[in-house]
Amino acid sequence: MERSAPVARHAPRGVPEVGVSVRGTSPGEAPVLSVIVRVTERPARLEAIYAEYAPAIEALGEPYEFVFAIEPWARKLTEPLLRLAERGEPIRVIEFARAVGEANMLRYAGERCRGQILLTLPAYHRVEAEAMPELVRRVREGADFVVARRWPRSDRLITRIQSRAFNAILRHLIGHSTNDVACGVQAMRREVLTETPLYGDFFRFLPVLASREGFSVHEVDAPQHPEDRRTRVYSPGTYIRRLIDILGLFFLVRFTEKPLRFFGLIGGGLVFGGAVVVAVLFIQRFFGGQPIANRPVLLVGVTALTLGAQAIALGLIGEIIVHLHASRSRGYRTLGATGDEDAEPPGPGDA
Amino acid sequence: MKRPEISVVCPLFNERENVTPLVEAVVSALGDVTGWELVLVDDGSTDDTVAVASARAREDSRVRLVRLARNYGQATATQAGFDVARGRVIVTMDGDLQNDPNDIPGLVAKLDEGYDLVAGYREERKDHFLTRTLPSRVANLLIRSLTGVPILDNGCSLKAYRRELVDRLGLYSDMHRFIPALAVGTTGARIAQVPVRHHARRFGRSKYGLSRVWKVLADLMTVIMLRWFRDRPLVMFALGSLVTLAIGLAFVLGSLAIPLLGTPGVHAVVFPSAAILLIGLSLYLLMVGLIAEVAIHRAAGTRTPLARELGGRA
Repeated sequence: MERSAPVARHAPRGVPEVGVSVRGTSPGEAPVLSVIVRVTERPARLEAIYAEYAPAIEALGEPYEFVFAIEPWARKLTEPLLRLAERGEPIRVIEFARAVGEANMLRYAGERCRGQILLTLPAYHRVEAEAMPELVRRVREGADFVVARRWPRSDRLITRIQSRAFNAILRHLIGHSTNDVACGVQAMRREVLTETPLYGDFFRFLPVLASREGFSVHEVDAPQHPEDRRTRVYSPGTYIRRLIDILGLFFLVRFTEKPLRFFGLIGGGLVFGGAVVVAVLFIQRFFGGQPIANRPVLLVGVTALTLGAQAIALGLIGEIIVHLHASRSRGYRTLGATGDEDAEPPGPGDA
Repeated sequence: MKRPEISVVCPLFNERENVTPLVEAVVSALGDVTGWELVLVDDGSTDDTVAVASARAREDSRVRLVRLARNYGQATATQAGFDVARGRVIVTMDGDLQNDPNDIPGLVAKLDEGYDLVAGYREERKDHFLTRTLPSRVANLLIRSLTGVPILDNGCSLKAYRRELVDRLGLYSDMHRFIPALAVGTTGARIAQVPVRHHARRFGRSKYGLSRVWKVLADLMTVIMLRWFRDRPLVMFALGSLVTLAIGLAFVLGSLAIPLLGTPGVHAVVFPSAAILLIGLSLYLLMVGLIAEVAIHRAAGTRTPLARELGGRA
């Protein structure tokens, strides 16, 4: 998988950062816990989010900060937050110069915030605040990544069926074992965010990607928030996008390192089928004397050969890219090594 | 600390009983004669391989341990070992004691005769014939004939490499099975082979089975195609494009000939359609070749060719 450069490098220049203040800490003392609120679609009143979740975080008794990551259209929504910040509440607001997606928001905000434990929330009420301490506690006890699962749920059957179906497809295709990927309420060690390659629309699959990086992923039940109980039926486009996301994820997880296995299997099958058809026709033509110019099955054979060759050629491109990349980037994550304190080993790129 | 002469890289996956005998075998084989280090790579073991290995690493500074975050497979684990190994010569071997560390000095001596890679081959295999030895023989025959690299035993992990070759290999996926073919195909490495001993597995379970057959075939195709296409993809794709174009033009001629021959009952649809498909494919292959060229071009300068000085004065 492409290990993209830190988002900050690509981040829009001149991103204003306003309202930095940390409550409950002397200046210079870093917060232990950073709560990142991703303000994207259908946000609730942001000060209400803060008012609801902050007391539960406060109850943990450790310095914390709330970081609201917003896109420009949401600037108006942050005015009450900035007033709170001026009064000394531990609130920061990071505004991106354009819509960058939840994945980039989270990554960039994760780099800018100071806590070693991160808790991330959507800008609407998903689960009851009372579940927050448990999420954080599990991380502190050694879990790398803890996902909230909305349970018990009290929304309409139709919404629950959608959610079930989505997670079931994910489970069968990807072999991932958490039950509520869409919930979006997650606590993690900071390293999860800095070391998991994350981009585009893959934010919602962060648990899958993190467990692929070798992080331990756990699930905690959190009661569903009353405001999350609305029935949601999305536009057909949304469902199609979700399915495309899953397809993309499936490919990334299974074949990122070996694209030619995937395309070669498809292409090889097509080429083989096409070659058999064409061979049979040519034997009939040259040994049986039958004309083949009026046999549409010849077209079937040639089409299969053509598609097969295209698939293999595409796979080969992928493989060349992976191969060229392999000697420059490490395709693994270590938990440390002994005995390399004295000298940095020569990396493969140094040659 | 001085750079060791030899780095022995050993990927381990659930080999708790084997770690201690392995370290002892390497210590007794290499002794104190030359500077060496043993790099143990834990490939996400779920037993207490890590505990045993880190205990050994604490006792002996020549033993080092790299822990991977999860199970990545042998190729990636080996690459992780390569990335931390500091030796002038790097030796890989299995962590299951089926290779004998006493063979290492022989491999290294052969390497110093002027080779980039010395591969061991197992003269007498101590594995189950039907499920391990026979498939391996067939696979080796296939790999030899398709890659043109005359390696007798691709499955034997015991190999010695010059540092310069290791820096250029970049193992990923399941490429460990084709290291010699990959090394020759991508760097032009000079390869020698040396017979090595082979012991039956004493502890633990083999992590291989027959299920890998189709993966091996797919990877074999990958290695061969990489070798053909890697350096000058546009030329190879253009060649494919020309062949396709020629067949397409043959169909064009055929469809022109049919009305002239005036064969009754033959509609001139099939041949022209086939011609269109093939000429389309020809253009497509050319474009893919251009993209491949872009990919190679972007990586230009990051890959230095494998070379050595034979003598003379600078």
